[in-house]
Amino acid sequence: MKDEIQVGFIGNPNCGKTTLFNAYTGANLKVANWPGVTVEKKEGVFKYHNHRFKLVDLPGIYSLTSYTMEERLTREYILNSNVDVIVNIVDASSLERNLYLTLQLIELGKPVVMALNMMDIVEERGMEIDLHRLPEMLGIPVVPVSARKKTGLDILMHTVAHHRSKHMDQNLEHHHLKSAEKDPGHKHHEHRHEHHMEYTVVYNDKIEDKIDEISEFLQRKYGEMVNPRWHAIKIMELDESVLKKYPLELKGIVYNSYEEEIINQKYDFIEEIIEEVLVNKNKKAASTDKIDRILTHRYLGLPIFLLIMAFVFFLTFQIGDFVKGGFEVTLGAFSSGARYFLTTIHAGNFITSLLVDGVIAGVGGILTFLPNIFILFLALAYLEDSGYMSRVAYIMDGIMGKLGLSGRAFIPMLLGFGCTVPAIMASRSLENMRDSRRTILITPFMSCSARLPIYVLFSQMFFGKYAMLAAYSMYLLGIIVAILVAFAMNNKSDKNVGNTLLIELPEYKSPNIRTILIYVWEKVKEYLTKAGTTIFAASVIIWFILNFGTSGMVTDMSQSFGAMLGRMLEPVLAPAGLGMWQVVVALISGIAAKEIVVSSFSVLFHIGNITSPSGMASLTDILGQYGFGALNAYALMVFSLLYTPCAATIGVIQREMRSTKWTLFVIIFQLGIALLVSTLVYQIGSLFF
Amino acid sequence: MTLQNAKIGAVYTVKSLDLDRATTRRLEALGLTKGTDIKILNRSRGGSLILMVRGSRLAVGGKIAETIHTEEVS
Repeated sequence: MKDEIQVGFIGNPNCGKTTLFNAYTGANLKVANWPGVTVEKKEGVFKYHNHRFKLVDLPGIYSLTSYTMEERLTREYILNSNVDVIVNIVDASSLERNLYLTLQLIELGKPVVMALNMMDIVEERGMEIDLHRLPEMLGIPVVPVSARKKTGLDILMHTVAHHRSKHMDQNLEHHHLKSAEKDPGHKHHEHRHEHHMEYTVVYNDKIEDKIDEISEFLQRKYGEMVNPRWHAIKIMELDESVLKKYPLELKGIVYNSYEEEIINQKYDFIEEIIEEVLVNKNKKAASTDKIDRILTHRYLGLPIFLLIMAFVFFLTFQIGDFVKGGFEVTLGAFSSGARYFLTTIHAGNFITSLLVDGVIAGVGGILTFLPNIFILFLALAYLEDSGYMSRVAYIMDGIMGKLGLSGRAFIPMLLGFGCTVPAIMASRSLENMRDSRRTILITPFMSCSARLPIYVLFSQMFFGKYAMLAAYSMYLLGIIVAILVAFAMNNKSDKNVGNTLLIELPEYKSPNIRTILIYVWEKVKEYLTKAGTTIFAASVIIWFILNFGTSGMVTDMSQSFGAMLGRMLEPVLAPAGLGMWQVVVALISGIAAKEIVVSSFSVLFHIGNITSPSGMASLTDILGQYGFGALNAYALMVFSLLYTPCAATIGVIQREMRSTKWTLFVIIFQLGIALLVSTLVYQIGSLFF
Repeated sequence: MTLQNAKIGAVYTVKSLDLDRATTRRLEALGLTKGTDIKILNRSRGGSLILMVRGSRLAVGGKIAETIHTEEVS
């Protein structure tokens, strides 16, 4: 017996799966991708009694067909990995819908334990679930848990440990009344099959006969096949991936797909279960409906959403900047301390300059933006965890529909305010490839948090009391450009229903602090890692190309390699008011990560503490000497907003698209848009100012 | 009649779905099958609906709603 128990967590989206997973593993988890795809894979290990449990968090799914990548992945995992027990997390407040996945999981044949979550919502509504009858009808153990209050956790793992070698250990007690009523020839006590004693889901005689026939065939042809019954059912549904793996001469057995009958009979059984186990159905109106009456109101829904977003950005900029002040003072002290220390130990000019002007200026400048980014991600996580995010899809559906996209495409766009990389991954959940592509094309225009340092710095330097307005306008401009591009790309002749909205609206819940903090911590960790790796490396490289020229180390930066490179491209950016080699270098380096535009300015102009009032004042002075004023700064902000996304984003676009041609198109297209819009802004602006 | 001209607050039974296979399967996974009772909770100005289906709420775009044929439950 192996001493590690592998447990797969499976459930519908919004069933509290991640919260439950986090309750066991805490922040102590390994996040990677499933092989070959960009679906996230989370794993955590913990010990309980003498067992070591390895938990695997699978994607949230509604069904186990092979229609989506997430569903196929989950199915493959259950069938082919050495998972010992499946924990099926079920939202008790929508038990009926959740049971559909449960029945499919049970049919797969691995041991299943149900974790019945959100019982508090059920009780709040005055409903009750018969916890004695439910396991009897399903033939699997049912453990009530609360992921939020962390109750039932030990019992669940105890059950998992005991259940791992058992497939069906409980006495099944069900009689399939519904199918008997609908099928007059079918009498339960005269059933030719013993299946009611063996299997949870039993179909009518016609289908059961076929299943038996096909599974016999399969066993004869493929010998030691695991769970021939499941494969037989899938073959009757004409499931492509099963038919491909186990080709079978179907003539004379399956003429057409039985998929619809199989699905309907599963739902018949679910109705039967609900009738028996759910007491006081619909006793009290759910509080969700009361909240929805306001938040999804015909006329108020949209203004409320806009107000919420305005509030999110207010917090990000105002409160974030307030906290940022403290970070700047620390950085300033650290920078001068380091310079003093390096001078006293007689470190050479080279080392001192590299460390203080290169590394500390570049990386430190970025770290001071941590408070803004923390607040932004906190707010986005709150919106997501509360259940509001999917309402946004409903509210925006009308507007998005005019662009030929479903309201659902707005969710990746909204996530894009945080970070473009996960936003692009989220666009995969869209119904068809064409919509995903269009969404991927416009998502980078939604201003991500990495571009925020650029706005904060330049708007504070040049726009005084209008700084916040200038920064806000970037977000607005990004949205407008995204909408225009989506509109231009819209193929109106397309009458496909594939891109219409279809999304579940979960119950509202007060967000779980732990889930949110773990999520935000992951983001902060990513940000710190980026500062320590990409931004660190880029700062060092920039320092080198700016301090070395054809004649070795140079004292005048304008003789450096960087200056030479920048001058070559000056003419291209000149119409946008950005024809300074320093700006060109900063923008090129920004492709590694957008924050580096700010780091580059610190390195370029030898400003150790770029975000402090004195640092900003001296940068404004220096730039002023080159004739770089407010309008140039605004054009720079516009260009930074729109141009080629960062290397990480380009990477994820390539992986999602699997097309180098398309990825190149995205890069060039966005560079073109950025040049066009910033030139327009600068040229038109020049007429007035 | 189709769901498109359904009344807010009323309950309907699904008679048939006139959709492509993939969308039909997605609806089925969310609990919306032939014979299911649906309560209409809300309708947006753009024509999207919020439905109560088997104890959970779904937001459905107008183009899908117009292909779902229903009968009012008295």
